[in-house]
Amino acid sequence: MRKLYSIGLIRGLLWQILGTALGIGILTGIRLIIGLPAWKAESAAVFGALLGSLFFVYGIGAVDDWIKVAAGNEVHEGDESAWGRMRYFGVSLDHKVIGIQYLVLSLVLMVVGGSFALIFRAELANTGLQFLTLMEYNTLMSLHGMVMIVGILVGVAAFMNYLVPMMLGARDMAFPRLNAFSFWLAVPASLILLSSMALGGFDTGWTGYPPLSARAPVGVQMFFLGVSLAGMGTILSSLNVIATAMRLRATGMTGFRLPIFVWGSLATSLISLTATQLIGLSFQMVMFQRLFGMGFFDPAKGGNPILFQHLFWFYSHPAVYVFVLPGLGIISELLPVFARKPLYGYKWVAISSFAIALIGFLVWGHHMFASGMAEYLRVPFMYSTLLVAVPTGVKFFSWLGTLWRGKIVFPVPMLFALAGIVVFLLGGLTGPPNATVATDLHLTDTYFITGHFHDTMFGGYVFPFFAAIYFWFPKMTGRRMNETLGKVHFWLMAPAFIVFSTIMMRTGLLGMRRRIADYDSTLNVTQDHVVMTVAGFLVALGILVFIINAFWSMRKGEVATGNIWNSRSPEWQVSSPMPIHNYDVPFEVVGEPYDYGLPGSVYVKFKEQE
Amino acid sequence: MKRYVIIFVLVIVCSFFIHSWLISIGLFPLAASAQSVPIDQLFNVHLWIISALFSLIMVTLVYSLIVFRLRKGETGDGAHMTGNSTLEIAWTGIPLLAVLVLAFAGARTLGEIRVIDPSALQVKVTAGQWFWQYTYPEYGVASSDLYLPVSRQVDLQMTSTDVIHSFWVPEFRVKQDIVPGRTVELRLTPTLIGLYKVRCAELCGLRHAYMEGLVNVVSQTDFANWISQQQSAAPASPELRGELLASQYGCLNCHSTDGSIKTGPTWLRLSGSNVKLTDGSTVVADDDYLRTAIVSPNTQVVSGFVANVMPDFSTVLDQTMVESLVAYIKTLK
Amino acid sequence: MEHSSKSSVLQLGLLVLGALAVLTAVEFAIALTVNIWQALAIIPLIKAGLVFYYYMHIYRLFEADKDVDRESYAYKLATNRLGLWLFLISDSFIFGGLMISRINLLGLTRPELLQVLGLAVTVVLLISSFFANRAEVSMAYGHRRQFILSLTVTLSLGILFLIGVVGVEWQLAPFGPETNLAGAVFYVMTGFHAFHVFTGVIFLAIVLRNGLRGLYSAEKHWAVEASVVYWHFIDVVWFFFYPALYLIGTLVQ
Repeated sequence: MRKLYSIGLIRGLLWQILGTALGIGILTGIRLIIGLPAWKAESAAVFGALLGSLFFVYGIGAVDDWIKVAAGNEVHEGDESAWGRMRYFGVSLDHKVIGIQYLVLSLVLMVVGGSFALIFRAELANTGLQFLTLMEYNTLMSLHGMVMIVGILVGVAAFMNYLVPMMLGARDMAFPRLNAFSFWLAVPASLILLSSMALGGFDTGWTGYPPLSARAPVGVQMFFLGVSLAGMGTILSSLNVIATAMRLRATGMTGFRLPIFVWGSLATSLISLTATQLIGLSFQMVMFQRLFGMGFFDPAKGGNPILFQHLFWFYSHPAVYVFVLPGLGIISELLPVFARKPLYGYKWVAISSFAIALIGFLVWGHHMFASGMAEYLRVPFMYSTLLVAVPTGVKFFSWLGTLWRGKIVFPVPMLFALAGIVVFLLGGLTGPPNATVATDLHLTDTYFITGHFHDTMFGGYVFPFFAAIYFWFPKMTGRRMNETLGKVHFWLMAPAFIVFSTIMMRTGLLGMRRRIADYDSTLNVTQDHVVMTVAGFLVALGILVFIINAFWSMRKGEVATGNIWNSRSPEWQVSSPMPIHNYDVPFEVVGEPYDYGLPGSVYVKFKEQE
Repeated sequence: MKRYVIIFVLVIVCSFFIHSWLISIGLFPLAASAQSVPIDQLFNVHLWIISALFSLIMVTLVYSLIVFRLRKGETGDGAHMTGNSTLEIAWTGIPLLAVLVLAFAGARTLGEIRVIDPSALQVKVTAGQWFWQYTYPEYGVASSDLYLPVSRQVDLQMTSTDVIHSFWVPEFRVKQDIVPGRTVELRLTPTLIGLYKVRCAELCGLRHAYMEGLVNVVSQTDFANWISQQQSAAPASPELRGELLASQYGCLNCHSTDGSIKTGPTWLRLSGSNVKLTDGSTVVADDDYLRTAIVSPNTQVVSGFVANVMPDFSTVLDQTMVESLVAYIKTLK
Repeated sequence: MEHSSKSSVLQLGLLVLGALAVLTAVEFAIALTVNIWQALAIIPLIKAGLVFYYYMHIYRLFEADKDVDRESYAYKLATNRLGLWLFLISDSFIFGGLMISRINLLGLTRPELLQVLGLAVTVVLLISSFFANRAEVSMAYGHRRQFILSLTVTLSLGILFLIGVVGVEWQLAPFGPETNLAGAVFYVMTGFHAFHVFTGVIFLAIVLRNGLRGLYSAEKHWAVEASVVYWHFIDVVWFFFYPALYLIGTLVQ
C-alpha cells in the first residue's frame, strides 16, 4: 500500500478523486448557504473537476518546491540518477524524463483518439445507423478531434522539451519545475476531457460552437474545462522553451547557428504562448453562459454567436501551425543527415518558420467564410491565407535542394520524413481551394476539409513524429528500434493513409458533409466509405506494429550507444542513452550546423578539461 | 543540364496527366446554378495549380531519391551546396506573385457569384432543429419543400430558431450559415430543372445528419402553377385550413398533436386546459390565449419552455390564418 | 540604480504617480464632457507606457549579458525576468480577448455603474502601485523598514480595491450577470481582473511574510521584484478596463 502511494501517478490520481469529491461537496454547500437549491449536477461537476485537477498536481508533488519557497525555505534538486524506472511515474525535473513522459502521454492519447475514430469509421462504413446512437456518434467524433489535438500538443511538447536543451548544449530547460508542472497538468486535463463521456457526452464537434454548445449535455463542460487546463500547460511549456532558447545556448551558438529544430520550436512557442489564451477564454465564456446565464453568445439576450467563432479561431488557426512547425523542423533536421548535405538555404528555412507563425495570426477568418461574418472581411482573409503558401513553399523547395546531389540512404526515420513531405504536400496543395472564398463555399463543412486537415496533420505532425521517435530512440534508450518492423509500420501506414485522405476529399466534393453519423445513399459514396474504413484500420495496424516494436526494442533492440546516424548535431557527439546532465564537458559552436560535405568542418567542439 | 531538361519534361507531362485524370474521375456534382459556372472555372484553375505543383515537387523528389541514392560501396558526403540567394528570391517571389494573382481571381469570382438581381424571387427560410421551412412573402404561400423557378435568381432570407445551421445544395455550390438572432442572405440562380436536396452543413445537434429537404427546380410556368395551387389550396372549413397552415408554416416541427413534448408545448387537449406560465400564474387556454400564443408568444411563456425561440409570425399570418389555426387546435381533443 | 540615489528614484516614482493621477483626472473629465472614445483609448496607452518604463523597468529585459557567467545569480535573475514578462505577455491576451468582446458586444454603450466608486477604486489601485514601487526601491537600497511599510500599504490598498469592486460595486450594480449583455460583460471583465488582483494579493502577502523574516536583501530580492511587477501589470490592465466599463460610450438603458 505504502509502495503504491509512493508512485507519483497513483498518488496524484488518489488526490484527484479526493479533490473532485471535495469540490462537489463545497459547491453544493455554497449553494445551500446562499439559498439556492443545493444540487446542480453541472455546477458540481465543473467545480469538482477543477478542484480535482488542482489536487492532482498537488498530490503528485508538482508544486511541492514552490510551496517550500513560498514558505521561505530553500529547495535543492534531488539526484535523480538513482531513481531508476520509477522516475517516469512521478515528478522528475529532468527534461529528458519529462520529454518521454509527454511522449508516452501523446501516444496514449493518439491511441485513444484513434480508437474513437475506428469505432465511428466502422459505423460509417455503411448507410443507416449500425450500432451507434446519434449522441454516441457525435460524442466520439467530437472527442476524436479534441483528444487528437491535445495528443498533438503533448507530442509537440515531448519533442521540444526532450531535444531543445540537448541541441543548445544546456543541462536542462530554463525552468525545470515549471516543465514538470506543465506536464503533470496535462494528465488530469486529459482525464477530465475523457470524462465527458460519462456525463452525457456532447454533440458539438471539437469546435464547440454556441448556441449548440450552450444547450449541449453536461459533458460539454468537461470538454471545455479539460481543454482550458491542457491549454494552460501548453502556455507554460512554451514559455519555458522560449526562455531556454534565448538564455541557455552554448558559446558561439548565434541565431543562424542554431539547429533548425530550435527555430521551429521558437516559432511554435511564440504562437502557443499567446494565442492559446483565446481558446481558453472563448470556452470559458460559454461555460459562464451556461453556469451564470451570461448571454455573450445568446441571441435572445442580444449576444453574438459569431463573436465566439472569432475568438475561437484566433487561436485555433495559429494552433495548426503549432501542430506542424515542429514536425517540419524535424524533417529539416533529418534530411541533411540522410542526404549527407547541408540544409539548403538554412537561413531562409529558419525565417520561414517565423513567417508562417506571423502570417498565421492573420488568417483565422478563412474558417468563417460561410459564417455570416462581416462581408468586407472575406477578401482580406483570402489574401492573407494564400500568403501563407509562400514561406511554406520555401520549405519544400529547400528540402528538394537538400536532397539534390546528395548521397541518400533510407533507414526508417528517413522513410517517415519523406512520407511527411509527400503527405504535407497533399495537404498544402488542397489549401488554396479552401482559401478562395467562392470555392470554399462549396467545400466548407464537407469531407474535403477533413481530408485537407488530416493530410496536413499527418504530414506535418504524425509522420515526422514517428520519424523523430525512430531517430532519437537510441538517444533515449541506448538501443535501436527494429528496422524490419519499422518498415512494416511504414508500408502499412503511408499508402493506406494517402488513399484514405484522397478518397475523403473526393467524397466531400461530391456532397459528403462532415460530422454526420449517417449519409444519403444517393450520394454514391458508400463504397468510398468502406475503403476509408479499411484504410483507417490499416493505419491503426501500422501503429500497433510500432508500439510492439517500441516495447520490444526497449529491452531487446540492437545496442546503439554511439553516433549511429553520423549526425553533426551536438547530442549525437556524446554517448547514448544521453548522460544525466547532458554534457559533462560543455561545448562551443565553431562551425555551421549542417556543413555536411565540407571536409574538416566541425559544428561543435568540446572544451578542454581545465 | 541534362537533369534539368529531364525533370522539366517529366513535370510538364505529369501535370497534364494528373489534370486529365482529376477531370476524368468525376469530382464534382452536377452544376445546376449560375453561380456554379464561375466557381467550377475557379476549381479548374486550382486543379491545374495542384497538378503542376504536385508534379514539380514529386518528380524532383522521386528523381533525387533514385538518382542521388547512396550506391553500394559508396562512401562520403553529398555535394556541399548551402544555398543560392537568387534561387531563394525566385522561389519566394514567384509564388508570392502567383498567390496575389490567384487571390485576385478569387475576389473576381466572389464578385461574380454575388451579383444582385433586384427582381429576384423572395423566399424566407426558417431553419431549426431539424427542419426546413419556407415562405414566399410575395404570394402568401408557405411550404416545407423548396420550389424554385429555373433561370430566376432567388433571394433567400434565412434565420434560425435555435442553433447555427447552414443551407447547402451541392449542385448549387454556394453555402451560407444560418445564425439565430439575425437574418442572413443567400442569392442563387438555379439553371437546371430537377429535384435536389438541401443539406444542413453546420453541425446542429443530434439529427444534423438527417436535416435534409427537397429542392424542386421547375419551369417558370410550373412554378406559377404551383403557387396558384398553394394559394387556392385553402380547404373549405377553417379547421382544415388551419391544419394545412400548421404543416406549411412549420408549426408542427415544434408542436406535436399527439401529446409528445417537442420544442414547444403540445397542441393535444390544449384548448380549454389550464396552463401554468413561467411567471407562476395559471391561465385558461381560451381562444384569446391561443391567438396571443401565435402572434405574441413571448408575453405568455409556458412553464418549462423558453422564450425567444418561436419565430415571429405576427407579420406573416393574417387574422384569418390565425383564426383557422385556432380552430384547428380546438379540434385536437 | 548605482548611478542614482534612492531619494531621486523615489521622487521619480512620485512624479510618475502624479502623471498617472493627472491622466486619470483628464480621462474622467473627457468622459463627463465630450466623451470622444479615441481620446479615452489613447490615455490608457500613455499610462501603460509610463508604468512599463518607470515602475516595471521593462528596459532591464534588454540589458546585454552574453558574457556573464551562466551559473551566476545575475544571469539567472535575468532569465527569471524574461520568464515573468513572457507570462505577462501571455496573460495580456486574455484581457485583450475580453476587450474585443466588450467592443463587439457593447460598442459605444456602457453599463450603468457607480462613477464615484469607479473613480475611487481606480485611484486606490493607482496609489497601491506607487507604494509597490516604493517597496521595491526601498528593498533595492536595503531599507527594510520602509520596504515592509510600503508593501503593507500596497497590500492593504489591494484588498481595499477588491472590497470596492467585488464587495460594493458587484452588490450595488442594478444588474446581474444574467440580466443583459452589459451585465455579462461587466462581471466577466471585472471578475477576471479581480481574480488576478486576488492572486496578486496572495503573492504580496507571501512576500511580505518572508520579508518580515528577513529573507530578502538588496542584492537578492527577486520575489519582491516579481510580485511588484505582477502587481503593476494588474494595474495596467485596469487602466484599460476602467474607461472601457465606466467611461466610454453612452449609458445603455
